[in-house]
Amino acid sequence: MNGVFILGLAILIIGAVSVTFARPKTYLARLINLEIPGWGLLLIMLAYDEGLALLTFVAVTAIATFVIVRVMEWRDAA
Amino acid sequence: MAELIALYVLGAVAAFAVVRVIVERNTGRKLPYLNVMNFAIAGSLVLLLQHPLSLAAAAAYFVGSTLEANAIASTYAGVATR
Amino acid sequence: MIGVMQIVFGFVALAGAISAAVQRDPFGKLISLGILVGGVVPFIVDRGYLDIAVAVSLIAPITTIFILMATRRAEQ
Repeated sequence: MNGVFILGLAILIIGAVSVTFARPKTYLARLINLEIPGWGLLLIMLAYDEGLALLTFVAVTAIATFVIVRVMEWRDAA
Repeated sequence: MAELIALYVLGAVAAFAVVRVIVERNTGRKLPYLNVMNFAIAGSLVLLLQHPLSLAAAAAYFVGSTLEANAIASTYAGVATR
Repeated sequence: MIGVMQIVFGFVALAGAISAAVQRDPFGKLISLGILVGGVVPFIVDRGYLDIAVAVSLIAPITTIFILMATRRAEQ
């Protein structure tokens, strides 16, 4: 099968396992690990030639990361 | 053929830099090898595809990755000296 | 893409993913995330999506800088 698809699937599985069993059980380590399966999903979208979906997914991931960081700061301040 | 040799050299440099970054224990010593890998990748982006816009993609990757490495180094310096 | 370069960039991306999953230091995790991005972007360029490669390479550092805001708060 396509090499890009296999690579994306491997990175997606590695990232999902690392988010589920984050070693330092902090919100920060879990947020950084959440970036890994995003790039794996990007490679899978690339294997199916979905260009516009790829662009939208990257932009929405950046906005969602910003929102989660702000929520973590509010939780620390409270 | 000449650009193929250049592509192989850049790939070897990128793989060597990745191995050095992963093996290194000290965070401050990881960052120069991360820059080596970024330069090798940015150079190989130009040689991968024969297209006029390929240069713009390589320039954008160069700017973005350098900004990222500098932001990490700046924050690390601010945390470590405190 | 030439097969050898596909193997090299696949190794770079996979090594970045495994290293980011295993590391415990937040700065080490972010550096490994940079390696992962460096391995993924050549695959996008090789497919011919050059405009999307430009957008992805400019958005990825912004995400890292957002996480660095939280890292600076956590490390104090």
